[in-house]
Amino acid sequence: MSSYDIKSEEKFMGQNAWFSLFMGFSLLFISTYPMLNQTSTPLLLLGTIAFLGSFFMFVIRGGFTWKMKYHLTYKDEYLNTIDTIAYKHVVLGLLFSMGGVYLFSDDLALSVSHSMMATFYLAVMSLIYGASILWQSKG
Amino acid sequence: MKNHIAKYRKEARLSQQELADLITVSRKTISTVETNRFTPSVIIALKIARQFNTSVESLFEIEEHD
Repeated sequence: MSSYDIKSEEKFMGQNAWFSLFMGFSLLFISTYPMLNQTSTPLLLLGTIAFLGSFFMFVIRGGFTWKMKYHLTYKDEYLNTIDTIAYKHVVLGLLFSMGGVYLFSDDLALSVSHSMMATFYLAVMSLIYGASILWQSKG
Repeated sequence: MKNHIAKYRKEARLSQQELADLITVSRKTISTVETNRFTPSVIIALKIARQFNTSVESLFEIEEHD
């Protein structure tokens, strides 16, 4: 593996972390706004635009082309380690958020749909992944 | 476990990025190993030792609480 590949992986991981954060905030917005305002139609459009905007920003800023190959794991040892730790953080965060919802959701159950809850969990996972990667990459 | 990689690297007048490029790892790998935040694999330890023409034992040192 050349040093160019390693630098690409480092760059990709940084972009991936920011993309996860953008996606997480967009999904959090989509999942909670309708519940607070008892409406969903305008928000769904706005949320979708925000998501697509962050996705294309990710693609453009990352300098990716259509020939970009997908790798299951990072080949660099440290990047692979922090990626694995980030997934562990995601699982822990998901468990805590599910536990919290389980304990406090009775009052919300009537106004929250399954799709909104699924979007909320996805938002939590994306936010934790992005934050974990950035936190571990600092310094 | 502490290590003396930063000392060897500075003596060789190499930056973290240059050392990382020489042994094909990321700069973050070198940075976190030097600050004891990450323990590298045997392969990376051997690559660093070979780069500085020294042994792994002279680069890494086990402390009492390890």
